Amino acid sequence: MNKENKSIPSPPEFARNFLEWFCPPALYEGVEGDLLEEFECDVEQLGERKARRRFLLNVLRFFRPEIILRNKLSFEVMNTIMVGNYIKVAARNIAKRKLYSFINAFGLSVAIAFCTLIYLFVQDEKSFDQFQVNKDLIYRIHDTGFNLEKYKRGEDPYERFAHLPAPLGYAALDELAEVQYMTRYSEGGEGVMRYQDKILKQKYISVDSGFFRMFSFPILAGDRDHLFRNLSDAVLTPATAKKYFGDEDPIGKMFTIDIDGERTLRVAAVIQAPPANSSIDFEMILPIEASPWFVRNRERWSNYSYPTFIQVSPGTHLKTLNDNLNRLYEKHVDADTKKWRERNLVPGYKGYEYGLTALKDIHLEKKIDWHKVSDPQYSWILGGIAILILIIACINYIALALTTSATRRVEVGIRKVVGAHRKQLVQQFGFESIILALISMIIGLGLVALFLPFFNQFTGKNIELTIIGMLKVSGVTLLLSMLVGIFAGIYPSLYLSGFLPAAVLKGRFTSRLQANFTKPLVVFQFFLSASMIICSVIMYRQMKYITTKDLGFDKEQVLVIGTQTGWNEQADRAVEKFRNTTKGDTAIQGVAGANFSFNGGWSRNGFRVNGEDKNAYVYRVDPEYIPLLGIELVAGRNFDERIASDSNALIVNEALVKEMNWTDPLNEHLNWREDSVGLGAKIIGVVKDYHFLSLERKIEPMFLSINKKEVGYTTTLLVKIASNDIPGNVEHVNEIWTTLFPDKPFEYTFVDEDVARQYASYTRWMNIMGLSTTFAIIIACLGLFGLAGINAVNRTKEIGIRKVMGAELASIFVLLNKQYIALSAIAFVIATPISWYIMTKWWLADFQFKVEVGWELFALSMLGGLALALITVSYHAIKAALINPAITLKYE
Amino acid sequence: MGKEYLGEFEELILTMVGILAEDSYGNAIVAEIKDRIGRDVNLSAVHVTLYRLEDKGLIKSHMGGATNARGGRRKRIFTITNAGLAMLRAMKEVRMDLWKLIPQLKIAGS
Repeated sequence: MNKENKSIPSPPEFARNFLEWFCPPALYEGVEGDLLEEFECDVEQLGERKARRRFLLNVLRFFRPEIILRNKLSFEVMNTIMVGNYIKVAARNIAKRKLYSFINAFGLSVAIAFCTLIYLFVQDEKSFDQFQVNKDLIYRIHDTGFNLEKYKRGEDPYERFAHLPAPLGYAALDELAEVQYMTRYSEGGEGVMRYQDKILKQKYISVDSGFFRMFSFPILAGDRDHLFRNLSDAVLTPATAKKYFGDEDPIGKMFTIDIDGERTLRVAAVIQAPPANSSIDFEMILPIEASPWFVRNRERWSNYSYPTFIQVSPGTHLKTLNDNLNRLYEKHVDADTKKWRERNLVPGYKGYEYGLTALKDIHLEKKIDWHKVSDPQYSWILGGIAILILIIACINYIALALTTSATRRVEVGIRKVVGAHRKQLVQQFGFESIILALISMIIGLGLVALFLPFFNQFTGKNIELTIIGMLKVSGVTLLLSMLVGIFAGIYPSLYLSGFLPAAVLKGRFTSRLQANFTKPLVVFQFFLSASMIICSVIMYRQMKYITTKDLGFDKEQVLVIGTQTGWNEQADRAVEKFRNTTKGDTAIQGVAGANFSFNGGWSRNGFRVNGEDKNAYVYRVDPEYIPLLGIELVAGRNFDERIASDSNALIVNEALVKEMNWTDPLNEHLNWREDSVGLGAKIIGVVKDYHFLSLERKIEPMFLSINKKEVGYTTTLLVKIASNDIPGNVEHVNEIWTTLFPDKPFEYTFVDEDVARQYASYTRWMNIMGLSTTFAIIIACLGLFGLAGINAVNRTKEIGIRKVMGAELASIFVLLNKQYIALSAIAFVIATPISWYIMTKWWLADFQFKVEVGWELFALSMLGGLALALITVSYHAIKAALINPAITLKYE
Repeated sequence: MGKEYLGEFEELILTMVGILAEDSYGNAIVAEIKDRIGRDVNLSAVHVTLYRLEDKGLIKSHMGGATNARGGRRKRIFTITNAGLAMLRAMKEVRMDLWKLIPQLKIAGS
């Protein structure tokens, strides 16, 4: 049309394109005409080069709000006429292919639901302690110490602990100007609380009065300013108050609590309970000055038992504060402690240092052990999985949209002939995918609400959907669905809109679809699912291994009951009393006492032998302990209370024998008390190594003693019950307990439960991984199902002809399935090394005792995955293979 | 409508549309202003003002016929509406009334 224009000077093309892009279409022709006219004029007067420059300048001058803003309205209504049609066509398409629409929508909604749940999880992780008004001013002090053992093992030699000497808090408050408030904080306390006839085990935390000024937990009743002036003050949460006092006003109520001796306390205030996303958790708060052993530790710089929080004045320079804290250490810490640290230090390393963690960072500071502390890595991994699942769902959509495109060819051709621009077709198909995504969003939101309780259970969280939360979630899902709609819709719409109308409408297109481009997509999504399957299987195997591994003792049917007496002689007497009462009882096979249950804590002793530092775990037991748990004695004998010298004797484990390089352990002594006179305790027996620690750790040197003065009291009662009627026998034990100790609550666990609880976080991860894998497999299978169905439909005639020619049902089945099996096999081959690497380097690395990750595990996962794929695609293959060829070939 | 006020540039463009009648489009108005008052105005400014006047209902537009010039693009021809004429007339009258109030001899004398 413009052929003669080629020879005449023309304005810059990009300037015209730019003008076309921003100029409202209604005005475009008039504006461009005027500009061209001016350009022609300029060419004559000023020459071509200058004219071109002026053209560009003029176009730029048109790029002004008065012009551009005229667009806004017209952009939105650009297709108003066609939108109705698009909706109608989309609805018809969805209705016409119900199964595929369902697969698409369901896959997308599962993915959206999963992503939303993960979003909630990550959001919750990040929200920890953010509600505290002073979150930027409150710091937790921690100490960084050098650990020689870790250094020798080649790990990071620095250990960080939040537990600090008791006097540090006041020293910081008194000597450092920038510290405004401080509180020491001791959690995990437990006592028996009694009010009238209510006797219950009650957890508490101990703090200083500064706690109430620093943390934003509102005092609901009582006087905030004078709390803890009196050491018998107690502060309760409403739930705790209700538990004991019912609906009565709790303020001023007197009750008793038995924490290493009975005391009477008075309820001084009621404080709002902390939310689930708080690193500070409590049911009852007591003054730390009144807590057991505090008097002894108050001035001791060598006892590390008390986490300490400080609140600094605004604008405090952290580095200076930290230096000042370290100066406190230099000034106060006693010479012995310093000397001990120096002895265990490798030159070139720092022996000891204080550090600070801001309150808002405590939850994700995984290096320091704390209530509910969490690894930020988990959020990243979960986020990654969520994105992967979303990608799989998008791939499904793309693959299905492409493979069903055959039926839409004619539509595209006709639309183009009638005058649709390519842009409009892209918009149409994009519009369809967004509609589908929005439908998925609604289903997805429903799924979120449905799955949230299970998700909470799996992750150990307590996420609730409030109205504001729901709005936020809806916003996020809306964003997600739009993103998915656009991302998944863009390729199919570009592909579909690219058909040449002449070719399509002439009918020369075969109805067979070239599915080659979908193959990499299938491989990719199967690769993702395969990796997840393998990871889950390895996790499952490891957990199974851990729970069924022979730990070296019999953990079945052993009840663990706290004696609730405190650390004193009474604990031993309680065990004795219980044992005597139940002698000859057929339901009770054994009664033993110990100072710790499994997973209930431990005590480790360091001692010097021949100038070398050694460490060993030490447990107080009684003579019944070894037979009750079925621990095997490999040498020597069990304790015997009739032999007086046994109170100073030890039974050690094989690991200790090895550590000490003893050849004849029964003739050795272990001077673990570092007595200056005598040889130390005599060894009377050696037990076979048993897992008294979790399987994350090696079996370390350990010894048992029946010496109550040196090692401790039997505060834990172990009762082995007969296996014939476990609930009945537990009830029986309860009755005996209540008659013997009417003032002590009967609270028990089973040893095997205690052991399993050590792996709670791993189990949680296995659950989450299992859940993700299930989602991924569902979505991938849906996709495969759809693809296989389309493939079968595409080849209906081929199958008909083959059957007429005498093909067997089986051979048709193989013909239809072999490519999918090949694709999933390829995916597995890629997934195997990657998942192997991830699992052995990351998850299994935490365990000292782990399953063999052998080839059969991968073979198993692969067979499982392939079987799943086969079942998925078989439905269509069988259906297609069974059709009577007369029907499919009739119309040819 | 009568409450609307026009800026100086708007009034100028409106007047030009009135003057040029059937041949008033962007470039013609720029040229006319150049010819009659020797003022250089920018094409985009003229366009923007024309659209604004159209929004106010003082002028209306239609597409003219295609020619060989302008790369075959049609012109957008603007014509003044009755409201536009009324507005021009009203503004002129107001100005004349005000002009009469200026004590011209006194100024000349002092």
